[in-house]
Amino acid sequence: MSAARVLTSGDRQSVEIRRELIASLISVAGMVGRPVRQRDGSLIGKLYDFVVPAGPEHPLVSGYVVEIARRRVWLHAADVAGLEHGQLFLQKAKFDFADVVRRPGEIQLFHDVVDHQLVDLHGVQVVRASDLYLGNVGDGWRLVGVDTSWTTFLRRSLPGSRAWRPTPTRVLDWHGIHSLAVSEEKGVQLDAPNSQLKLLAAADIADLLSDLGRSERQELLDDLETEDAADALELMSDEDAASLLGDAPVERAAELLSEMEPDEAVDALREMGADDREELLQALGADDETDLRSLLSYDEDTAAGMMTSAMVIVPASGVVADAVEALRAVRGTPDQAEMVILVDPGGVLVDDVTALELLGEDPGRPLMELAGQPWPVTVQPDAPLGDVVDAMRDNMGASVVVVDADNVPLGHIHADDLVDALGDAERRWPWQRMAGGTA
Amino acid sequence: MSELTRTEAPAPEGTGRLARPVVTRLQRMAAGAAALGAVLGPGLIAGLSDDDAAGITTYSVLGASYGYQLLWVLSISTVALILFQDLGARIGVVTGQGLAGLIRQRYGARAGVLSIGALVVANLGTTCAEFAGIAAGTEIFGLSRYVSVPLSALLVSGLVLRGGFRGIERVLMVLSAVLIAYIGTGILAGPDWGAAFTGTVVPSMPLTKDAIMIATATLGTTLAPWGLAFIQSYAVDKKLDTKELGLLRIDVVTGAILTGVIGFFVVIACAATMFVKGTQITDAASAAVALEPLAGPLAKELFAVGLLGASLLAASILPLSTAYSVCDVAGRPAALDDSPREAPLFYGTFAVVTVMAVLLVLIPGMPLVPVLVLSQVLNAVLLLPLLFYMAGIARDRRLMGEYVARRGITYVYYFVIALILVCISLMFGLNLLH
Repeated sequence: MSAARVLTSGDRQSVEIRRELIASLISVAGMVGRPVRQRDGSLIGKLYDFVVPAGPEHPLVSGYVVEIARRRVWLHAADVAGLEHGQLFLQKAKFDFADVVRRPGEIQLFHDVVDHQLVDLHGVQVVRASDLYLGNVGDGWRLVGVDTSWTTFLRRSLPGSRAWRPTPTRVLDWHGIHSLAVSEEKGVQLDAPNSQLKLLAAADIADLLSDLGRSERQELLDDLETEDAADALELMSDEDAASLLGDAPVERAAELLSEMEPDEAVDALREMGADDREELLQALGADDETDLRSLLSYDEDTAAGMMTSAMVIVPASGVVADAVEALRAVRGTPDQAEMVILVDPGGVLVDDVTALELLGEDPGRPLMELAGQPWPVTVQPDAPLGDVVDAMRDNMGASVVVVDADNVPLGHIHADDLVDALGDAERRWPWQRMAGGTA
Repeated sequence: MSELTRTEAPAPEGTGRLARPVVTRLQRMAAGAAALGAVLGPGLIAGLSDDDAAGITTYSVLGASYGYQLLWVLSISTVALILFQDLGARIGVVTGQGLAGLIRQRYGARAGVLSIGALVVANLGTTCAEFAGIAAGTEIFGLSRYVSVPLSALLVSGLVLRGGFRGIERVLMVLSAVLIAYIGTGILAGPDWGAAFTGTVVPSMPLTKDAIMIATATLGTTLAPWGLAFIQSYAVDKKLDTKELGLLRIDVVTGAILTGVIGFFVVIACAATMFVKGTQITDAASAAVALEPLAGPLAKELFAVGLLGASLLAASILPLSTAYSVCDVAGRPAALDDSPREAPLFYGTFAVVTVMAVLLVLIPGMPLVPVLVLSQVLNAVLLLPLLFYMAGIARDRRLMGEYVARRGITYVYYFVIALILVCISLMFGLNLLH
């Protein structure tokens, strides 16, 4: 065998396939700045950008922005004869060129997407687009993939034709990408939400929001359903959640805040400036406002500061069916759906009953018959973190109840709230994520 | 929040929607101080980190070789530091992105490659300078650099990558704070305050290549490229609000002025002790002479401890900051919590920068003081594209929105860039003539 590697038939085949693939693709970054010519070959300008509609899985190029004598004009896709040898050829000899106007729902691929942050929904990560590839699938040029490789990024800095030839290396299907094009004009929404956003877990969304730039994360937040966004905010660090809420329009921030668990909402509010916090509290509904203000009034390093006031309370004089009904009403919130708190007519704590204990019980059985050891472990509102940790350890359970001096339940602290409080220890470096999927 | 199931915690007396407590002036002041405390950090850390081994050595050479004459270079460097650190922090807060990634987004692939190339080379040079500082510091105690430098690299990498750095970081900061002794020694040395004042505000420049070189190195060490990238990423990480930009400016200006003040006293301490006697700085031990008015016979040991602390601190931050910038521009994962398999570029860059810096410093016969000074000259050269791109980003309304830089301040940015360009051109011109 010679020093040069001999290609096997399999290798040759894959090289051939790759060559054909490369020949069938157009590099968006490579084509920008390339000549635009008439059919006779005369030069009329250079290509400034490709325009596609936002939304479709693999959008069709609807037009081109061409720079002619420093004027940027719009060219409809139908007026282009072809993209060949790194040049764009026009269909006709004469055109009425129109000035470019940014329209909602339209993306300029090079200036809005290439080198910008994108969300890879399948890999669940923030990536930067090194290049975009167009493929001709019969009805015209469609955006098929995004190359996020380091080598393609370096290729683009090379001089000559090597800079514009496609080098597909780490290519992701455009269908799995959520683009975050940010318009220079306020109120112009360039992008459409990717339907696959709904498939992401809250923790993944929290990670993505933490990794994005300021405008980009607001774009992503806008594209999320309120409930999904609120779930993600709950999983972020308090600083990150406060920052996102602070950047959002106050009505949207209030909407998100009222959807969040009260303890998580209060943690985020505590990180905000006093004026912003006040503005946001006033934008809430009266009940939510009173609720959050009361939680805010406690010292955050005490039991009351880390508790949630949302809990399922049922009169101890009721029956199992009452407790099951109350739990059914909060099915979507796992923190609350684990147990019911039983109270006497004066609101004083009697016992707690877990959902497991209610399982299989006769609906008509009095709840008092289920009361008994182990009794709920309680702490006072001003108990420090260490005491709460001790109480939780002694309880060997998932939560402790916070009660006032008269033993009236004020809220409860779940194990995850305690983990949050303990995990708030300072990070060692700026380049370090915090526990729980936050950065 | 479900209305059906939530019970409302009773509000303590005096709170609630209608009864809000009266906020006293004292409470407002306390709230203001707390807000400032929350913002403090990026500027102070980035500014004070400039007083590393390379900085102290460069300022020492400036004072020992030219007395008070070139103090104005430090004045201009400090003003430039305030301007560009403030800009870096502002860009970080407003865009929420690191410098290298933002340059790529704003200027494209070629600019991205150029800026990350400049940053990596400059940071590699400065990391070399930090290990040179470690070598110089330990050699004062008689420990060979061939032992101390690899050991320090292992120690620093272990601490950074394996955790538990926080306590050690404080120790190193205390050690490096020993260099604040220069303020005392600067006063005790009995400097010529009139000449120092004149030197600080009146520019005069000997047109020799050495003078131009040390002036360029002073600009490069004060306004270090890594400091600009660091402050931006730190500001991004703190998730500061744009409403806090005013407080952040206080932080940045305080840090930059502290850098300038410490640098000023290093220069006048060396001018009052070494320049008047005609002593040149040939190695780290000779630079320690400047501390004799304060520390007497212990000057060398005091200097060595300070140099070691400052060098170890900066040597631990620099490879990490470089790795972050490389991943930022490449759009790859960059967090210490990711494993090497998840973030190979991050850990690879960290390893390459550390190992190369160690190897360069260990080349037999490598003169440490020239390495320290030349790395800072390189910093100044490589600053130019970064500053240019930063000024452009500051003027970009799409990125900066309402916080876009006004025309007046942009002229000041370009004036500073032009000044550095003149220094570098003169330096290269005079080198060619000689």
